[in-house]
Amino acid sequence: MKPALKSVLAVLCLSAANAWSAPITFNTALPVHEGGWVLREQLVFMKAGGDPTPARRDMEATGLVSVLGYGVTPDFALFGMLPWFDKLLDMRMGGQHLTRRKAGVGDLTVLGRYTVYQRDVPGRTLRIAPFLGVKAPTGEDDARDRLGRLPPAVQAGSGSWDVLGGAVLTWQTLEFEIDSQVSYKVNREARSFEAGNVAALDASLQYRLLPRSLGAGVPAFLYGVLEASLVHAARDRVGGADDPNSGGTILFLTPGLQYVTRKWIVEAGVQLPVIQHLHGTALESDYVLTVGFRMNF
Amino acid sequence: MKRIVQIMVLVVGLMVGTATAVAAPQTYKLRVDGLSCPFCAYGIEKKLGALQGVGRIEVDIASGTVAVTMAEGATLDEAAARKAVKDAGFSLRSLEPAPAAPQGTGQAK
Repeated sequence: MKPALKSVLAVLCLSAANAWSAPITFNTALPVHEGGWVLREQLVFMKAGGDPTPARRDMEATGLVSVLGYGVTPDFALFGMLPWFDKLLDMRMGGQHLTRRKAGVGDLTVLGRYTVYQRDVPGRTLRIAPFLGVKAPTGEDDARDRLGRLPPAVQAGSGSWDVLGGAVLTWQTLEFEIDSQVSYKVNREARSFEAGNVAALDASLQYRLLPRSLGAGVPAFLYGVLEASLVHAARDRVGGADDPNSGGTILFLTPGLQYVTRKWIVEAGVQLPVIQHLHGTALESDYVLTVGFRMNF
Repeated sequence: MKRIVQIMVLVVGLMVGTATAVAAPQTYKLRVDGLSCPFCAYGIEKKLGALQGVGRIEVDIASGTVAVTMAEGATLDEAAARKAVKDAGFSLRSLEPAPAAPQGTGQAK
């Protein structure tokens, strides 16, 4: 699978619990109140290219990612994430321009998050929450076009049951919030293809830009957001052998904005790859644009 | 005649004052630790609002306080309030009855 796309898909899986305020691209340890629901919708557009081979591959993927979270207890929350993808691969073959495309529902991720440490003081909170989840193969993984079976990166689903887990730390004050997450996703084999496992280390700073000074009541906040994500993907395995043109490490920086009210949040950010060490002819990420909203009820 | 008017004013004043004292809903001031963003305030409002007898809730995020005004004749149980705050994901530091709000000028003494 193309490393850039794999990294983004892994980040999407690992951001399933990111239904609260806080980071745009990953998780948070902030609570979902007992019996409460949180809904998040994110529209994600990613572009990858820079193919050094004569095929001159370019890939685009648009995803509409729906996340529903439920507070089972004050400390334990469950999240379900279901994406819809439209993936498009442009390439040249024998002097011809070819387009391979697949749109459809992707794989469902279900994730549980438990707060193991919580320290509350006036106007501040520190929380640590590990999480564990599973990705089910609900998306189609054997789509075909006139050229045959689509490559794994273009399929809507992976066909495999995968496991993901990690831990997130959140330090929130009235002025700013810092989140940091470490995560790992174990990908398993399906149809003789096994995407490389993905490890990620993320950090996010959200700083209150407006209002400059807090008045009475519950004013809406405008946060400036800056996030960093270091993502390493291992080589894929095809037919039991490593694919030398897959896997690698990418460091993304994500500037963004969030507008936070009592009931809803709107946000936008763009992930920019600042360092890419990819294996072989793997495609490089150009950018990932994310816009979305969240609401609680 | 002047004396009758004075007595009537006194009686009316006492009636209004007594009625005000009985009807004035009790307000409690809760100090909530960990409350530090607008999106979090909703859970507090929802959980405290579900308690029996709660009439109105006003969160002040800057001071980390929640003013809970009860319905007429109702009181707020501290244990129930503590559980509601915990269920919202936060910690109750203290709960105390707030001083009665001024009832305006012209009140009976």
